[in-house]
Amino acid sequence: MFAAQASAQTTRDFISIVGSSTVYPFATVVAETFGKTTRFKTPKVESTGTGGGFKLFCGGIGARYPDIANSSRAIKQSEIDACVANGVLEIIEVKIGYDGIAIGSSRKASRLALSRKDLFLALAKHIPDPQGGEYLIVNPHKNWKTVNPDLPDVAIEVLGPPPTSGTRDAFVELAMEDGCAQFGWIAALKKNDEQRYKSVCHTIREDGVYVEAGENDNLIVQKLEANSGALGILGFSFLDQNADKMQGAAVDSVIPTFESIADGSYPISRPLFLYVKKAHVGMIPGIAEFLHELSSEKAWGDDGYLADKGLIPMPEEERIRFAENSRQLRVNLFSDKD
Amino acid sequence: MNKRSNKCSAAERINAGLTRRRAVERLFRYTGLLALLLGLTFLCVLFFSIISKGYTAFQQTYIQLEIHFDEQKLDPSGERVYEVLSTADYGGLVKQSLRAAFPMVASRQEQRLLYDLISFGAAYQLRDRILADPALVGQTSRVWVTASDDVDMLVKGYIKRDVPEAERRLRDVQLAWLDTLETEARLSLKFNTAFFTSGDSREPELAGIWGALMGSILTLSVTLALSFPIGVATAVYLEEFAPRNRWSDLIEVNINNLAAVPSIVFGLLGLAVFINFMSFPRSASLVGGLVLTLMTLPTIIIASRAALRAVPPSIREAALGVGASKMQTVFFHVLPLALPGMLTGTIIGMAQALGETAPLLMIGMVAFIVDIPANIFEPATVLPVQIFLWVDSPERAFIERTSAAIMVLLGFLIAMNALAVILRKKLERRW
Amino acid sequence: MSTVLGKPINFSNERRRGERRKHTRATTSSATVPREDRQTVGTAAVENPRIRCTDINVHYGSKHAVRNVTLDIGQHEIMAMIGPSGCGKSTFLRCLNRMNDTIDNCRVTGNIWLDGLNVNDRAIDVVPLRAKVGMVFQKPNPFPKSIYENIAFGPRIHGLARNKTDLDEIVVNSLQNAGLWQEVKDQLDQPGTSLSGGQQQRLCIARAIAVNPEVILMDEPCSALDPIATAVIENLMSELCAEYSIVIVTHSMQQAARVSHRTAYFHLGDLIEVGTTESIFMNPLHQLTEDYITGRFG
Repeated sequence: MFAAQASAQTTRDFISIVGSSTVYPFATVVAETFGKTTRFKTPKVESTGTGGGFKLFCGGIGARYPDIANSSRAIKQSEIDACVANGVLEIIEVKIGYDGIAIGSSRKASRLALSRKDLFLALAKHIPDPQGGEYLIVNPHKNWKTVNPDLPDVAIEVLGPPPTSGTRDAFVELAMEDGCAQFGWIAALKKNDEQRYKSVCHTIREDGVYVEAGENDNLIVQKLEANSGALGILGFSFLDQNADKMQGAAVDSVIPTFESIADGSYPISRPLFLYVKKAHVGMIPGIAEFLHELSSEKAWGDDGYLADKGLIPMPEEERIRFAENSRQLRVNLFSDKD
Repeated sequence: MNKRSNKCSAAERINAGLTRRRAVERLFRYTGLLALLLGLTFLCVLFFSIISKGYTAFQQTYIQLEIHFDEQKLDPSGERVYEVLSTADYGGLVKQSLRAAFPMVASRQEQRLLYDLISFGAAYQLRDRILADPALVGQTSRVWVTASDDVDMLVKGYIKRDVPEAERRLRDVQLAWLDTLETEARLSLKFNTAFFTSGDSREPELAGIWGALMGSILTLSVTLALSFPIGVATAVYLEEFAPRNRWSDLIEVNINNLAAVPSIVFGLLGLAVFINFMSFPRSASLVGGLVLTLMTLPTIIIASRAALRAVPPSIREAALGVGASKMQTVFFHVLPLALPGMLTGTIIGMAQALGETAPLLMIGMVAFIVDIPANIFEPATVLPVQIFLWVDSPERAFIERTSAAIMVLLGFLIAMNALAVILRKKLERRW
Repeated sequence: MSTVLGKPINFSNERRRGERRKHTRATTSSATVPREDRQTVGTAAVENPRIRCTDINVHYGSKHAVRNVTLDIGQHEIMAMIGPSGCGKSTFLRCLNRMNDTIDNCRVTGNIWLDGLNVNDRAIDVVPLRAKVGMVFQKPNPFPKSIYENIAFGPRIHGLARNKTDLDEIVVNSLQNAGLWQEVKDQLDQPGTSLSGGQQQRLCIARAIAVNPEVILMDEPCSALDPIATAVIENLMSELCAEYSIVIVTHSMQQAARVSHRTAYFHLGDLIEVGTTESIFMNPLHQLTEDYITGRFG
């Protein structure tokens, strides 16, 4: 009976995809379309989180390891090293598009115009003393007006993801870090004491002003509907699907829309990636065809079905480049890449 | 004389205390009643909130289109070969039909809006029709196809018409087309069979629970097949044959503790032993069943032991007295009498296992799996996991489907517990 | 005679336990009879016994429940064992078919000779022993199965019937011998537990008979039954002793007097006196026996 199991494992006939929960909604659409339009079996897509996905992906070569890893960030050097150590030498990186992180609020309230510095001052655990001086104090701001006099007189209440979420990592890196670095002396820290720099800029306050609303963005939407004074940190696709109830705050004077994220003017957006093991192409049926479907215009193009689901497409020349790369199965990730 | 006066004052004191005692008893009774009512209220609120959100999912909006199965488009050679028929452009047929129904729609933009009214699964519905009956090629017929999830939400009232157009998922012009279809009786709500017959999908109008249900059935079959015999045998051995010493006490304590271990720990165990060490396929119902077996065993063992202990020793003595061996006494007399209790414990354990998600997370059963699993080696997911995945999806239409799936799951749980009660009543024998 | 916790209260001339006391017919307190005076008197041995017990001692943990009992059970006789509560008669009875093995901290030493074998030997298989030495318990305990199944279970597991016809015959014979056949012949598939108390006890007797025993042990078989049922069973016993030896433990002296051929009197773990029923009741040799029979304690 074990032989049956072993053989079932060594001859897997479906593609196994693991990784980021942000890329999950897009990978699943491609998987379903691929399964419906070709003779191959529908790929199995697991939402394990980016880090967890890489751990499984870099486990080794063979049918018991996944073929493709979804990621909401570029692969880290340490992960590449782990892959190489386990025999995963040839990896193809495919960028599939961009994802925007919106600061949503109920349409019953007026749209806020925030800067990234405002976000940092409102949400960080420690901020520079408002009186001046190069030292930190515990964040005293409880009202948007004290953060920035142009903002309305509303209590600060932000619902966001927990520390385990990739969305939170992206938010602190793209929004808060930028606002934090606008203080010159903190920016200087980056060169001298990176650890401290990170802890100043990335730590979110825990005094109840920032409320961890779980990984479920639907829940944040529901809570924002009920509480018009609150803001929520969620993925752009949720904002898009609930546009009748929610609006996105303008960040650095840019309102989050399809176009503004696509052309890069909306600051809180990040690229999404797929990583493929070249060694599995041929061993597992359909990988090349799957990449073909993924990189087709009807999937990730401006009018493609991924855009319908809320993925912001890459500019055309990037699309052509990555499409060409993936169809040629060209390994573009090297172990000395930084 | 002394005794009599003692007795009098004793009677007086008893009477004096009576009012207080009665009052305390009344208080306890009412508190108990209140607790019961509170519990029932929460139960009702739970059921109401789920049913009110979910009952609409059992209906799906369909649009009737007049489809001309153009032979030139589908199979110009006329040979009706599977490959050709399977890969033909059915989407094109749908679009053509829509253009024919609304000839005034000219610009590309507007045409796109028109096509968006129909689910992208409609093309596959037409394909399945043709593959089932290739004789349809060349004919024209009216076909009901699934509408898109936004249309579905509008028809069911979840998308409001009175919101300004910019904030709505459907444009005014689309609303006008839908109204036209409705007056022509080509837009209607029908029973949502796809919910019960298809697997998961990213499109809510095509998504169904059949894949998850099959996964649950396969997983629970494995669990039942393994945990019942092992659990009963263990309980019989521990209760009847094991010597009463420190080792057996240690085992009993450990089994009781295992029943309280968080279920995700069993998932970690399953990952380490079944998937990494024994190389079982990831996400298969077999592994899920094994993990749930480990989780349910303590429950079954504890319930079975209690059932065995409840068999009166007089039955055992009678059997032994006639000259039966220990084995024969247990199998012919004790076990049949303990069976109702064992079955009840097993069914309750199964009902618990049916609702488990956390241990399956680690072994890969929390995944997007579209194909219906055919056997225990194929990747599968289970009903509570399906609910968990849908809850995370942004599409509005998944909210009602999640509630509907919860209703199905709750229905199964209630049915299983009812079965436990019926079995217990039927098999109970008075001795 | 007033008793407290089974021990008689002597409101006159009370002495502390263990104190020597002159043993005359005039003494009344039984608890104070010293150990040496509790030797067995009477005729414990018979010729050609069915069962011979020598030096039986039973310990429950540290409690010494049965002390040095030596007793024979004869062929085709009814032996009654009488005595106050807690005197060890049931415990001794259960030694005869090794039922004390089921009790965890019980230790039985001594020899029990049946058909030339010492059945108290650990090496002996108790399963055929219990077929040879059947038991009827105090509270009727038919299996919760049909009447037919109740009787058929024993012969089936011991392989006494070659086919269904044989089994049917055994069932019918057993029920007839137990005097139950007429009452249940039309309802053999009814559950055994649907019968009245007396019928259930006769069913249990039939069940014991079905496996062809040599001895039937009865532990207070009528204590849970009404007088009419008791009478029926007592009649049955008289008929059965033509084939089997019967050992009956009873709380009722009258019953012992009615049915038994020999009687053994137990007292606090010792076998005080054994003899023919007539001699025990008419002419007891030991003071304790007389005290018990005359009702000074009980």
